[in-house]
Order: sequence, then C-alpha cells, then structure tokens
Amino acid sequence: MPMAELIDTAGRSAAIEAKKAWREHVARGDSTAPAIRVGLAASFTADTLVPFFGAALLAENIAAEFKVGPYNQLFQACLDPQAAFGGACDVIVLLWRLEDLMFDEITGFLGGDHEALKRAGAKLAQLAGAIRQLRGGFSGMVVVGVPPYPTGVATSLLSLDNGGGLGGFHRTLAGQFIDEIGRIEGVRLVDLDAVQRQVGASAAFDARKWYLYRQPFSDGFLNTLGRQLGRIVMASRRAAKKCLVLDADNTLWGGIIGEDGIDGIQIGDEFPGSAYRDFQKLVLSWRQQGVFIAVASKNNEADVWEVFDKHSGMVLRREHLSAWQINWLPKAEGVPLIARALNIGTDSLVFIDDNPMEVAYMRDARPEVTSILLPADPADIVSVLQELTLFDQLEITDEDRKRADMMRAERDREVLGAQINHTDFLQALDLRVDLFRARTEDLGRITQLINKTNQFNLTTIRRTLDEVRELAASDDFRLYGLRVTDKFGEYGLTGVIIARISPDRRRWTIDTLLLSCRVLGRGVETALIGALADDARAIGAVEFAASFIPTAKNSLSASFLPDQGFSPVGDREWHLALADAPAIPSHIQRTGAEGAAGRGFDAEPFQTRLSAIAG
Amino acid sequence: MTARVAKVFSEVLGVSPEHITDETSPDNTPQWDSMAAMNLVVAIEDEFDVRLSTAEIISMRNVAIVKKVLTTKGVADA
Repeated sequence: MPMAELIDTAGRSAAIEAKKAWREHVARGDSTAPAIRVGLAASFTADTLVPFFGAALLAENIAAEFKVGPYNQLFQACLDPQAAFGGACDVIVLLWRLEDLMFDEITGFLGGDHEALKRAGAKLAQLAGAIRQLRGGFSGMVVVGVPPYPTGVATSLLSLDNGGGLGGFHRTLAGQFIDEIGRIEGVRLVDLDAVQRQVGASAAFDARKWYLYRQPFSDGFLNTLGRQLGRIVMASRRAAKKCLVLDADNTLWGGIIGEDGIDGIQIGDEFPGSAYRDFQKLVLSWRQQGVFIAVASKNNEADVWEVFDKHSGMVLRREHLSAWQINWLPKAEGVPLIARALNIGTDSLVFIDDNPMEVAYMRDARPEVTSILLPADPADIVSVLQELTLFDQLEITDEDRKRADMMRAERDREVLGAQINHTDFLQALDLRVDLFRARTEDLGRITQLINKTNQFNLTTIRRTLDEVRELAASDDFRLYGLRVTDKFGEYGLTGVIIARISPDRRRWTIDTLLLSCRVLGRGVETALIGALADDARAIGAVEFAASFIPTAKNSLSASFLPDQGFSPVGDREWHLALADAPAIPSHIQRTGAEGAAGRGFDAEPFQTRLSAIAG
Repeated sequence: MTARVAKVFSEVLGVSPEHITDETSPDNTPQWDSMAAMNLVVAIEDEFDVRLSTAEIISMRNVAIVKKVLTTKGVADA
C-alpha cells in the first residue's frame, strides 16, 4: 500500500525485507500465471536485480516472472528478444554501463586521446539504433537505463580533473544517450545515474561482487533501482490518484489562522514558513500534472480565504483550488462531497493532514481514501512527500495540464444550471460533440482514459499504450475518441470507443466504451451511439453488439445499453439493430471533419497517419 | 551460531535447515550455484554484521569453513 513514511531503500534492512518477500514468493511457487513477464538484459550480471524488482511489484500485488538474458548481450536482446529471453515478454528492461561497453574508449580518453569520445559516441549510437529496432518490432513496454557514473575504473570520482576527465566523459555520453532515446517514441528511461546519486556512488559499488561475480552493485543500489523500475511499470498499469485534499492549518501554513490571525501564521521566506511555501510549490507541480487540488479545513471559511487572497507568502491561490470543504463537518463527511463535486470516486482522493487523529479517523471511516500524515518536522515535509508515487503517470498530456483550469469552467456551468430548467439548460449549453478516428497524437490521452476511467465504463478493459497503438493499426478494430465542447469551453478528449468489426463488416462489437463523468447527463451518451451508428451504417454494418461487465465502480453505466435501445441476447450480450439506433439528440451538434464529411472515409489516410506511430 | 548459519543457508538455498550440515557444499548441493554464492555472502554479512574479504569468500567451499571464518571474525555464539 502507499506509504507516508520515507523508506530508505538504500538501507540494509529494506534490502533484506525485499529479498525475503521475493524468496517467500518463489518458495510458495504460485501456480497462477504471472501477471507480467519481464525480460531483463544488461551489460553486467543482472540476476541479482530480480529479487528487488520482483519485490517492488509484489508490494503492488503484481506477480512478475523474470527472464534474464545472457550477460553482456544487449544487442542480441534488441535484435532477437524472443531468443534472448526464451519467450515472449510484456516488459523488456535494458541496462548498461559505460565501463562495460566502452572500457577502451574510457582508458583512451583519460590518456589524452580526444578521438576516444567520438568513438564512444559512435558505439552509443549503435546501441540506440538497436533499441530503435527493438521498439519497432516489439509491442510491449521498453525501459532503458541511463548509464551510471563509471566505477571500478582506475580513477577517482574526486580526482582533481574529474570535470574534464571521467566526469566529463560520463556527462557527455549520458546526455547523448538521453537525447538519442528521446527521439524514439515509446521508450522509457530509468535513470541509473540518479539511483547512484541517491544511494551514493561509493555505497552503490561493491568491488568484491564485481571481481568475483561480474556484478558491480550493492544491495542498496539494487533495491533502489528495483523500486524505481517497479514504479515505472506500475505507472503504466495503475490509475493515478486524481485529487489531493489538503488540510489548511499547520499543513499549508504554520499556525492556526483562527487563533494566530493572518499576521501570526507562518508562510513565506523565513523558516518554518519557507518549508510550508516549498510544500505549496510541490502541490502546484502536481496540479500542473493534472491533479485536482482541494482543501478540507475545520475553520471559518472567510478566515481561510483571507489567507489565500491576502497573504503575500502564499504560493497557492484560491483559483488553484478545484473544490473545498471549509466548515465544521467531520472531514470524513466533507471529503466525499469534494469527490462528488469533481465527479470522481473517493478512492481517487489523497488526503493530507498534520493531525494524527484526523488521519486515523479518515483511515477508519473512509479506508478507500489514501490518507497521509504530514511529517511532524516542517523541514521533512517536501523531502518526504516528493517521493509520493500516487500521482505518477508516464504520459502527461495537454489535457492534464489544462484539467484543473477546465474544472473552473465546470463551476460556471453549474451556476447556469441552477438558474434555468433542465431542457432550457441543455439548449442553452450549445453542446457540440466530435467523434473522430483516433490519431497518433491522441493515443497517449486515450490510453490514460482507458486505464483510469472507472465509473462510466462498460467493460473496464485496461490496455497499455503499446496495446492501444497496435489496436489502432489493426484493420479489425476502430478506435474513436470523443471531444465535447459547450459554450463555456472545451471538456477535451473525454470519451473512447473501441469497436471490433466482424470479418463480414456487418457487425460492430463494442469492446470498450467509456466517458469521463464530466460530460454525463447532457445527452452526450446518446449522441455517442447515434454518431457511431452513422459511421457504422456508412460502411454497411447492420448491427451493434455490446456487453456490460459490472465492477465495484461502474454501476453508473449499468443501464446505458437498455437506455440506448439495446436488447439482451443471452447472458451478458446486448444487440442493437442499426435501423433502431437512436439519433443524435437535437440539442447536440456533431462537429469535426468526420461529422461534417458525413462518414464514408476510407482506411487509407488513417493507415498513413498510423505509419507515423510505428516509425 | 550453528542455528543462525543453518537458517541463512536454508533461506538462500531454499533447502530445509535440517539438511544443512558442515559438509554442505556446492559439490553436493545443486542450489549452491554462483548466484547463490553471491547471495550467501550478502546474507552472511547481513546476519552476522561482518565484512568478508575476497580471500575469505573464495575459501568458503562448505558450511564448516563458513563457521570457522565467522569464528575468526569474533562471532561468539558458536
């Protein structure tokens, strides 16, 4: 489970715990199929990383199976992963060290041979080329290591000319490698250089293991690296938390506004105010990733707004908040109201408070909320909380960056809704939907929706970016995105449909249909089916098939199929003759190139667009 | 120490503790491969809070030798 405490992964006891967890897992010999298969190849002996990487995934309830490729055969692993790993993999991790691949170049460079750096660069480009080839032919996740500072080379990190010597060599090549990998779409980096800094270069290297077993790293390094790899894999598979709910007094600032007054609280340039200010900066950085920020405080509302509006030390402003509960309600009652206001589940909330009683009470009353106790020493707040992985996501899209701002438009919509009746409200909204075939640049956002949408989701089938990319390129599927706009602004890309087309093209089976809750209740659901039916009819289809797979969270979509006119066929399946499909409601207009062109687009331009993905 | 040594070997090798004897060695224990050897070094260092030199690591070809090395390092409860 997510932890509030900073875990010293480099420490001995954490490493022992991790190895023990993995050993016990292996000993249990679970017969169930592994959730993921990981191929691991490195320029050094990588077997010792397995227990730590495995334990990090086990902590997230993922049982992984590892296939370690032969030592120092990175190129072979790239060119023929099936052979190198003895079977198919979901994730391939490639790790390398400068001193393994270019030892002669390092020696030459340190000896004054200025061409050595160029030769090393050429080798590095070859490796990047092999990785590009792997990416092109493999549909799973690819994670590649940034090389750490060379160790076991006969020169010291603290040698007086390190800046122009080995340090310069490492900086140049690590930078070049990051650039080259950055030009290959869909390859993740795991920064071994950063792991080595975190652990400490001298504590990361174990000379005895290197000489005896060709395995250079200490357990502390391997555990920290294993955690980091686990974090990368989890970020691709797990929905990130959506909203951070913050206490105010002694959390956003030092002191109690109701008692100390605006001049008495601590927030600004002087410690401890500076520690709270830095925490607010961290909060803002999460907001920029698309996390909603909310406040739950037992206070007089006016007192809290006075701080937000008038205190010069505040970094967070009132307009950064998407929702708030500032009153004397128990927080376990107020916090769910925040979730409701934002149309998200309470399990998407992270609650942070300095009061152990409030945290304990929330954990008891609302166990689905992730509740975190603020570190007692203000100096620890940022260093502990910046390690939170709850908001991790690999693709941060423009939608994310704009989301918190879009939510402000939502508040304006609600004001309009309160003033006039529902039908007039819908007409006045001037809703426009654009149902379109997904383009390369949409796939990141679509994957994100597929993996985080819980409530309005017919089948809750999760997919990785690579799976979505593969599916988008397939002739047997149609992948649609939905954009919704109204007079207040854009909701952005808020819906996804994946339809599987039967070989005779007459039946479209709805594999995935999901909508962000932000656009529900305005007829968009019906417009979606109406627009999809128009497209399907245009290429000769006569029928939709669909199913509803109930989960703990998607009861909101339980009545969708009957509501749209689908009839039950057998146990789980529903059918809809396209002749009976609903029309797009009159208050909604279908826009966009495909709506205007009125369908009948051929597959050719789509394939052209997709070829850009594979390249 | 004997019980603790048996526990370390049993855990790392995945062999039940009663099968760990002074004579247990890579020659009669297939689980004791080079990966396990490396893991044994780390596990012994962690359990007994000692640091082993490469010479000691190379010398440790059976459990009896491991115990002897630990004794010379002042691990008392032998």
